[in-house]
Amino acid sequence: MGIDPPFGKGLVNVIVEHALHSGGADDIRTTFDIFREIFLVFLVIGTAVGVVVVAYMTYNAYKYRDGNGTADSGDVSRPELGELPSGSGGGKKLFVSFFFSAIIVVSLIGWTYGVLGYYEEGPTEAETDEALEIEVTGYQFGWQFTYPNGHTNSTLVVPQDRPIRLTVTSDDVFHTFGVPEQRVKTDAIPGQTTKTWFVANETGQFEARCYELCGSGHSYMTADVVVVRQSEFHDWYDNRSAAENETQADDDPDTETGTDTEGRLVGVPSVTTPNHATEPTTIEP
Amino acid sequence: MRKIKLYTIIYVVLFVFATVQVLVEFAGFDYWTGLVAILALSAVKAVLVAGYYQHLVHEPRSLTALMVGSLFVALVLTTAAAFSIM
Amino acid sequence: MTEDAHAENGHDGLPPQTAVKRWLVTTNHKDVGILYIVTSLFFLVFGGVLALLMRVELWTATQTVIAPGAYNETVSAHGLIMIFFFISPFAFGFANYVVPLQIGAEDLSFPRLNALSYWLYLFSGLLFGTSFFLGGTFSGGWTMYAPLNMPAYTPTVGGTTAVLALMLFVASVTVSSVNFLTTMHRQRAEGLTTLKLPLFSWTILLTVWMMLFAFAALLAALLILASDRIVGTVYFQATEGGSLLWAHLFWFFGHPEVYIVFFPALGIMAECFQTFCGRRIVGRKWFIAAMVLVAIQSFFVWMHHMFLTAISLEIKTLFMATTIGISLPFDLMVFALIYTMVKGKIRYTTPFLFSFGALVLFIIGGITGVFLGAVVLDYEFRGTYWVVAHFHYVMVGGATALFGGLYYWYPKITGRMYDEFLGKVHFVLYFVGFNLLYFPMFVAWETPRRVFEYHQSFVAWHQLASIGGFVLAAGFLVMFYNLYKSLFAGEEVDGNPWEYASSAEWSVSSPPPFENFPGLPSYGDGRLRFLTPGRGGEVADGGTATGDDALDAAADPATESDRPQSDGGTVTAEAARPEIARDETADTALPDAEAEEEHPDHASYWPLAIGLSAYVTFLGLSGIRMDTAMYPALTGVGLVMGAFSFVGLGRESFHVPEMAVAERWPFEGVENGKLGMWIFLASDVVLFGSLIGSYVFIRVAYGWTAWHVVPHDPIPGLINTYLLLTSSFTVVLALVAAKRESTRGLVASLGATVAFGVGFLYNKGIEWQELFHEGTTVGSSVEASTFFLTTGLHAAHVIIGLLIALFMIAQALKGAYLGEEGSRKVEYFGLYWHFVDIVWLFLFPLFYIL
Ligand code: HEM
Ligand SMILES: [Cu+2]
Ligand SMILES: [Cu+2]
Repeated sequence: MGIDPPFGKGLVNVIVEHALHSGGADDIRTTFDIFREIFLVFLVIGTAVGVVVVAYMTYNAYKYRDGNGTADSGDVSRPELGELPSGSGGGKKLFVSFFFSAIIVVSLIGWTYGVLGYYEEGPTEAETDEALEIEVTGYQFGWQFTYPNGHTNSTLVVPQDRPIRLTVTSDDVFHTFGVPEQRVKTDAIPGQTTKTWFVANETGQFEARCYELCGSGHSYMTADVVVVRQSEFHDWYDNRSAAENETQADDDPDTETGTDTEGRLVGVPSVTTPNHATEPTTIEP
Repeated sequence: MRKIKLYTIIYVVLFVFATVQVLVEFAGFDYWTGLVAILALSAVKAVLVAGYYQHLVHEPRSLTALMVGSLFVALVLTTAAAFSIM
Repeated sequence: MTEDAHAENGHDGLPPQTAVKRWLVTTNHKDVGILYIVTSLFFLVFGGVLALLMRVELWTATQTVIAPGAYNETVSAHGLIMIFFFISPFAFGFANYVVPLQIGAEDLSFPRLNALSYWLYLFSGLLFGTSFFLGGTFSGGWTMYAPLNMPAYTPTVGGTTAVLALMLFVASVTVSSVNFLTTMHRQRAEGLTTLKLPLFSWTILLTVWMMLFAFAALLAALLILASDRIVGTVYFQATEGGSLLWAHLFWFFGHPEVYIVFFPALGIMAECFQTFCGRRIVGRKWFIAAMVLVAIQSFFVWMHHMFLTAISLEIKTLFMATTIGISLPFDLMVFALIYTMVKGKIRYTTPFLFSFGALVLFIIGGITGVFLGAVVLDYEFRGTYWVVAHFHYVMVGGATALFGGLYYWYPKITGRMYDEFLGKVHFVLYFVGFNLLYFPMFVAWETPRRVFEYHQSFVAWHQLASIGGFVLAAGFLVMFYNLYKSLFAGEEVDGNPWEYASSAEWSVSSPPPFENFPGLPSYGDGRLRFLTPGRGGEVADGGTATGDDALDAAADPATESDRPQSDGGTVTAEAARPEIARDETADTALPDAEAEEEHPDHASYWPLAIGLSAYVTFLGLSGIRMDTAMYPALTGVGLVMGAFSFVGLGRESFHVPEMAVAERWPFEGVENGKLGMWIFLASDVVLFGSLIGSYVFIRVAYGWTAWHVVPHDPIPGLINTYLLLTSSFTVVLALVAAKRESTRGLVASLGATVAFGVGFLYNKGIEWQELFHEGTTVGSSVEASTFFLTTGLHAAHVIIGLLIALFMIAQALKGAYLGEEGSRKVEYFGLYWHFVDIVWLFLFPLFYIL
């Protein structure tokens, strides 16, 4: 089986993308970049370690097989029935290997820890444009986005190249909000808020979805994420206000946005995911 | 008889401590001082009951270790969980 | 074969193994082990069918065969069944069968409790199965996150039934933990110090310790959940941290559970590597040290499952560090196993292949786990198939070794060899199927977990996985055929079919005789021997096998165990402790005539009866809020049956003498019953600790000082403190009276205890009544919920104590419990009662004053 399109996602994807994608023109380090880099290093080292260890195991299992002759040479003492359990020597080799593996693990994780602070906090104001703060609320089974001006929307419309800071919570059960293409994810917990951020380097339409089982509609709990150029975003945003919120239910504002700008990017009416098509079976206590 | 005497003394101490706990509450200390005092009294009472009524003092230390261990497990859960949201 | 012979002799008081009745009444650890193994394999099939159902649904990227709600039920039930009802009980089947043999015990310390564990397990599994028919089983995932686990979101009766089934399962686990810990700490053959335990026994010992504490935390979580679902408390729907509280409690259990599942597998790998490589393990002490470290540390890593929640960065950092810390000892264990092969004489038998395969799979699972330990990567992997692939590599990787164990001990258990060729076929199908099933999940990792609709681009990978699933399943058909066929057609084996096996289970016939050993096992002079305590100074014949003799004896069925032999060494060893040998051992280790009068019967119906009553009660409870009389009626019937069965169990004479000579570190000088009680109390400390911890957590989330204390004034609480303290004092007096052989004193003191206990409950009843009148009910606020549930569970402990006290009074009136020996039961009751008192000493200030 070759690497034809259906197989193009996943691991292969990461590696290919890493080779092709040299980061945006801008200098903000996005969560996407960080993830890609760390994942790649882990994959390479992890695979190498795995291959070496399993190969060594298999080699030994083969070399010391019964009847190979290797076993009978020398004066190896073998376990006997009824003896008190004890061990063989070889502690030194054990510790050397242990030592190396520990170094690999600790340094790998230590290295990622160095980025964790940045990953949590996001770029500082000085580094970038002012961040756009959006509140995200999960509900069975959809997402609602509230902008600083009070406008609420069921599609997440954001400007390109500007940090987006999300404050996430839930109206009912535990959900997890994630936009896989932007490598952003955080839990949506009733009564709690979590924060995360991302920067989209490219315009386009993406999908946000839920990553924690939340009921029968979990598989369908998606929302569109539309990244537009900053100027387009301003056009759109300046014409929104809290007053318009009533219409949010029928996804209208977004389709509108699309027609305002390049239809190819944002105009596509959101993928017809039956957001509310599946009602929870019964909610009678 | 000597034993019964000891048990009786402990009983009286427990009784008094329980009363003191309530008195502390009404004495009008600062809330956190009161909290520490009241919980400390409870801890002393618990140690007395475990030590003498359950005669842990006369048992091998391993049993005490077992109980301290399980208490520790519970405390780790309580404090770390509470700390995580502070 | 020997078993039947014994049965005809009426030796063990049990019907033969071919009779159904035997399996209902047996308390013998080997029988119970077999019951566990067979039952768990049934649940493997159950969970496996659900898994295949999911794989069929995942064949395409859109919803096809299973309705959305049903998919959630399937995924939840699959997870719960595999983890609770299959994998651990499977491992404990081996533990039941093998551990007493390995450590040199005749049986577990409390054989009837062992049977009880099994029946509670079986009925909890059946209850879980029943939940499917009560409007649908629980559908909130095996992690049961709050508040999806609340009836507002998962409203079916079956959902509640499933929760109660898990509670019943925890009861089974707790009983069996107490039993195993007492046994393993106090019934090891002379010379078999803790450090010298065979590695499988070591892993079980650590597993059981983890179980004791971890399952207590789970019990707290389930009690709260059941109360939220049935009684109407509002813990988990509380916006003040209710959701996070569940996550903390669940993962505090859940992470140790990972090792609980994995350790027995590790033990089997170690045994099989040693046996089939013909090498003792490299770095044995370090291997053990690493396991001890992991077992302890497993309680300090749970928040790595919560990296994306609202917990603070400091605590994330802390838990990231502990998580790396816990991964390191595993490196050492893996290398130790690998180096054990060096200079080996490796025979690729089925058990070895499975153990070797398990290690390969575990290495892959471990490496991909390091990815998850890096918080930044975990953020992305959370909730995706990366996690699904990873934990299947670890857990099903572990199960791989358990299947190896099934082949390894099959000849020991059945006396016949499995078919080696079919075994290898099973292995090939298993290993190929496994990797075909789970490896593609790493590639398609961006698929979200627990969905039936996913991105088109992953379809091919998921189809590969589904094919792998069916290949894996085909392997099991081969296995079942093999196991069944070999039962009749397999080659008969003697004691030890494996060259280089060294632990004690191989030194006796296959299957082992009813009392396991031909004499009292001892490693007193460095090798396993069976001592034969003589009567009146004469040296009795018996299987004294020393060193190579043991090997011969085992290798040659003709000379096995009934070969008369007198061994000089044995005689001296004998003479050194004639007293003990005569007074106590005679009836434990030795099948002689006198012993039979002491405990003629290894049969008891009561464990089964208790299991059944629990099933009926819990089934009733799960629908008690419905509008039918059926559920309350079931509850009532179950309770009556339960009371009857417990009294029956309590009145049955079932004397289990302690071993005459044994290694007992570190609990020398604490008799079995007392140790069992203390271990149980330790788990109860964690239970109440978790409940109090939940209160503290919610109160912190709420704002500590903004909290309203529910009772208006502390005086009723203070009065109750007085009452309970006094009742503790009277229990102390009861023990003194019992030791002085004063029935009157005993009955009077116990009577006073009951009176004070009833007073306590009465006072509490009045207090609650008043609160209800004012409109403060269990569900009116979190404050009220924590107050009613925590003190209510304490009251339940009081009620149980009172019932025991009443039972004891009835027995005492007939003259029981007197003297040094007899008073022990009074003492054990006292330990429990004082514990209940101590708990109140903390509940009182926390819920009434502060
Ligand atoms: C010892 C054996 C196994 C254990 C312990 C185990 C355990 C689990 C657990 C704990 C879950 C998570 C359930 C949840 O998310 O609530 C799960 C999910 C799953 N398992 Fe297994 N499993 C085992 C064998 C299998 C087998 C043989 C298959 C396939 C034939 C399989 C396929 C699946 C699938 C498809 C899921 C759903 C993943 C998801 O959507 O999150 N499992 N398993
Ligand atoms: Cu969801
Ligand atoms: Cu974990």
